[in-house]
Amino acid sequence: MSRESDIRLGTGEAPVAPPQTPKKINWAWLGVIPFFLFAIFFLFLPSATIFIRSFEAPDGSFTFENIISLFTKADIVNAYQASLSISVITALAGAIFGFLLAYAVVLGGLPAGIRTFLTTFSGVASNFAGVPLAFAFIATMGNAGLVTRWMETVLGFDIHATGFTIYNIWGLSIVYMYFQFPLMVLIMAPALDGLRREWREACENLGGSTAHYWRYVAFPILMPTLLGTMILLFGNAFGAYATAYAFAGSFINLVTILIGAQIQGDVLFNPGLGNALALGMIVIMLISMIGYAYMQRRAARWTR
Amino acid sequence: MTTSEKRPMSRRDFLKLSMAAGFSAWLASCAPKAAETGELPVTMSMDDLVAGATKEGELTTIALPHDWANYGEIIETFKSKYNMKVNELDPNAGSADELAAIEANKESRGPQAPDVVDIGVGHTANAMTKGLLGAYKVSTWDSIEMKDPDGYWWAEYYGVLAFEVSKPAIENTPQDWEDLLKPEYKGKVAMAGAVDKSNEAVQTVMAAGLSRSGGDIEKAPEMGLQFWKEMNDAGNFIPVIADIGPISQGETPLAIQWDYLGLANRDKLAGNPEIEVVVPKTGVIAGPYAGGISAYAPHPYAARLWWEFVMSDEGQNLYLKGYAHPIRFNDMASRGVVPQEMLDRLPPAENYAKATFLTVEQLQVANKYIVENWRKVVLGEG
Repeated sequence: MSRESDIRLGTGEAPVAPPQTPKKINWAWLGVIPFFLFAIFFLFLPSATIFIRSFEAPDGSFTFENIISLFTKADIVNAYQASLSISVITALAGAIFGFLLAYAVVLGGLPAGIRTFLTTFSGVASNFAGVPLAFAFIATMGNAGLVTRWMETVLGFDIHATGFTIYNIWGLSIVYMYFQFPLMVLIMAPALDGLRREWREACENLGGSTAHYWRYVAFPILMPTLLGTMILLFGNAFGAYATAYAFAGSFINLVTILIGAQIQGDVLFNPGLGNALALGMIVIMLISMIGYAYMQRRAARWTR
Repeated sequence: MTTSEKRPMSRRDFLKLSMAAGFSAWLASCAPKAAETGELPVTMSMDDLVAGATKEGELTTIALPHDWANYGEIIETFKSKYNMKVNELDPNAGSADELAAIEANKESRGPQAPDVVDIGVGHTANAMTKGLLGAYKVSTWDSIEMKDPDGYWWAEYYGVLAFEVSKPAIENTPQDWEDLLKPEYKGKVAMAGAVDKSNEAVQTVMAAGLSRSGGDIEKAPEMGLQFWKEMNDAGNFIPVIADIGPISQGETPLAIQWDYLGLANRDKLAGNPEIEVVVPKTGVIAGPYAGGISAYAPHPYAARLWWEFVMSDEGQNLYLKGYAHPIRFNDMASRGVVPQEMLDRLPPAENYAKATFLTVEQLQVANKYIVENWRKVVLGEG
């Protein structure tokens, strides 16, 4: 990129300045250019394409059929329900367990080594996903998995006789939890660090109980982080594809799995419907982001 | 075929994917229609082909995994025999991806445009309607037993769906489809793909149906779904996709797959676990794959030379080495050009005598019915 163009970008349509007082260039613009380029090419343009192609029939003509089937076709409605429930379940459960774990190591007075160990583990586990993660669970908890076999041979307990299987939405939730709650730990630990001892002492000096402290001091401070992380966990599970596919093929009917079948199937092939399904996901994410922004503003009201 | 993303597909990945698709579609739509490479005649002499291909120097293939029907050796032999470079695009692409690759690159004859494709026979109709294939008849054309009369596609090899049984996890080897419903196989029967994505999995439903309907092709799709409903209700069906990972680990001890893939797995796993490949007594369905040349091939001579090689006795025997049945098998066997040691490695020939070959129309009808009703009938959704 040439110097001139930087100057133009940096100053907008600046009038020709007198030569003695050169206008100051804000070089910070240079730093954000890659981000905006990236956002345009990989977020805004694709979203626009998805929107447009949602109205495309397999033969390329214009149609509302795809959008209508989002609300009328049973397997699509089921898929949205399944995707939403697994995302909400794992976001809530991940948030609760992750928070408790982070609380235990940060404020629970455990030896410092535990914290190092846990955060290192969380860093690894929160990035462990996709085919390797699915296979790890199959190999430990599947029908011929290590744990399953061990329970059979050592404990003499055939877990499958009880009707248990990991190949359903609960099993997949457990798999997702493996990367959900470590992420919560990673984000909550620094936030809990931010709680100063003095605040608690101040609360106690004013006669407040532990309950008062959490209700009126700690939670209001943590709430924005908690909400933000939960929406992150929700999106993390909502958009997951490879893990679910490697785990149980298209057996568990998720929106992402349906999209995969529409755009790259050997048999089904209706990219327009795939785009419409993706559009539905974008809308749901938008709604949850707006909800998040609203809650966030409420939660942060006391700071103003 | 499988996808192999190492991470869950995030929303952003999705956006990128659709962006790429959208962008190439836009490119394709706004460029002017170019003349097809159809100017080459339907038959050509080997001398002309070799001369033309040598000048091009390169061939672009797609969706040819090296452990599938011995494609690794076929490609290597072709390279050294004709001194050609071979540019291999995504080996794990499915048939629809292959056709999409031709369509998206109509106007840009660079290294990302495939010259030749290897697709499920059911896809040929779609490919021809869209004008994606060029016509050519190899010199061995007359002995090819399944082909388009005008030379737009021809079968190269086939296999039959077989049970890939792991020992000793499965004590009693099942011999026919109905055996798979027995309680002893609870949580053990797996497919090699997902029904709404994979042709192989759809044929698995079809084959079970053919077994039940006594060979009646029209009734088979419905009866196949009924069979798999019983399988799922009994808890015998395990939805893990049976590729070599879960098979060797033991999660999918009873996988249903093309026989040549099962036999190749048996060799590769070399006894850990021991694999037995059983062709069922009834409901034997043949899965031929069809070869074709892109109508927009950047290397039209090399593409034709490739098929001359693959469809020659030498190329066809290489398929057989990978346990896939060459489509010219009967002709070659009658002329005695199939080496005896290769014949000895195959399962008994009578297994294949009963194989049902479906026509393109039958495949299309059956595929549509099975995919559209799979969730409703088998999984009880909707």
